[in-house]
Amino acid sequence: MSMSSIALTAEGGRPVWMSRARQYLPLLPPTLLLLVFFAIPMGMMVGLSFHPQGGSTASLASYERFFTDDFSLAGLGRTVLMSGLVAICVTLMAYPVAYFSARSRSRWRAVVFAPAIAPELAGVVLRTYGWLIILEDHGFINSGLMWLGLISEPLPPAKNMFGVVVGLTHVILPFGILSLLTSLQGVDQNLEKSAQILGASRVSVLRHIVLPLTVPGIVSSMLLAFTMSASAYATPAILGGAGFKVLATMVYEQVLFTSTGPLPRSWRTCCW
Amino acid sequence: MNRIVSGLFWVSIALVMAFITLPLIVVMAASLSPSSRVTLVPWEWTVRWYGDLMARRWIDPFILSAQIAILVSLISGVLGLLAAYVVAFEKCPGHATIMSFLLSPLAVPQIVKGVAIVLFLSSAGLYRWVGTPGLVAAHIILTLPFAVRMIATAMFNFDKNLDRAGQSTGATKAQRIRHLLLPIIKPGVFSGMTFAFIISFNNIPLSVFLVRPGKPPCPSPSLTISNTASIRCWLRSMSPRCFSCWR
Repeated sequence: MSMSSIALTAEGGRPVWMSRARQYLPLLPPTLLLLVFFAIPMGMMVGLSFHPQGGSTASLASYERFFTDDFSLAGLGRTVLMSGLVAICVTLMAYPVAYFSARSRSRWRAVVFAPAIAPELAGVVLRTYGWLIILEDHGFINSGLMWLGLISEPLPPAKNMFGVVVGLTHVILPFGILSLLTSLQGVDQNLEKSAQILGASRVSVLRHIVLPLTVPGIVSSMLLAFTMSASAYATPAILGGAGFKVLATMVYEQVLFTSTGPLPRSWRTCCW
Repeated sequence: MNRIVSGLFWVSIALVMAFITLPLIVVMAASLSPSSRVTLVPWEWTVRWYGDLMARRWIDPFILSAQIAILVSLISGVLGLLAAYVVAFEKCPGHATIMSFLLSPLAVPQIVKGVAIVLFLSSAGLYRWVGTPGLVAAHIILTLPFAVRMIATAMFNFDKNLDRAGQSTGATKAQRIRHLLLPIIKPGVFSGMTFAFIISFNNIPLSVFLVRPGKPPCPSPSLTISNTASIRCWLRSMSPRCFSCWR
């Protein structure tokens, strides 16, 4: 880097600071756009949450209302629980697939990997509708079980936590696979080979070498899954419906139907 | 022991694969069923829902969303290229900080971004921007981090010795960028732009806030998210059946 900046000053004869500044010039358009359409709006929103009635005095009133309202607190609890479950399910399911894609030399690699990522191309609503067909009262599972005579009344798998967790796990799984894959590919394969040479079985290689080394990847995939499911809207709206409301669906309801009052404002900022 | 473990491993992979593909197959099958509810009737098939898609009210939002997504992916590609050049190729001082600033929209949920942008536009007196210009701006904010990250990865992997070789043969900076850097990182740029296109084309949570009320008309009172251009054209393109049931 220093070489090229020296070369620049030498050929152009400009002062050093000028060529330094010129380096940052290409950053101007993207930074400007992010400032205007992201940083300033976000700042405004955080600011507004402290001015509940649009008044000039700052107060924590909207936060107080959120944290003393049972309805919102229950929503917060449901959201946290749901996101935690999704994070665990995603990581558990993504790990074998990612491990296989990172280590296998077989020609099944592409066969496994392509369908694991491809659903990302179809939209969230489409995939969620697939689950609705499978899980709803007269859906796949219930009709199948009733036809087999195992149950007489339909089980209620959708419109509750179970349905939403299943749907969200499906939506977020490709992201989990990708993030674990990067971390597994970063593990030096020579370590595994030397352990195998020393007589370790595949299980103990996995347990004592691969798993400890991929802990950062596991943590990051869980965090990713958690944040994505905490802010997901379409899946909880379709699969959870009125029976299972999370913060995201509650915020949309407030913003789109009810009001622009102080309560949703505090929701928007304090929950994420 | 080893055999059991590898057997379990294969079973787990097969189960995950089944989990991933099952709902997609079900939706595809359901789109061929004649009932106007979203259900599976395994013994009756029809393609009439696909014929219904040719109606104007599906075609128009489809074209609008495609136009927005193309515009968004082009702008994100150019901006991402500029940003990634400084951050990943030149690696100027502070590149890590700049990179995390460029990726920061990822940390904020789409609802919050959507509300914030509408709030900003209305208080800045730009309310008439709500609609296509606002959607384009918001989608760029949404897709730029992905584009930057993809292009930056491609640039990190670019062999600097090639650039030095070009320099020693007397190529100017512009020539080196045009004939060395750009051709080599082209796959990264394309994948970034493809990502941007898909994200913008499929987006609902952010678009809800920026679609002008009443234009285009909302076909579904039962699900408010349907009043975005994206979702309608998207359902139009992917799964006609889901939508027909809301009429």
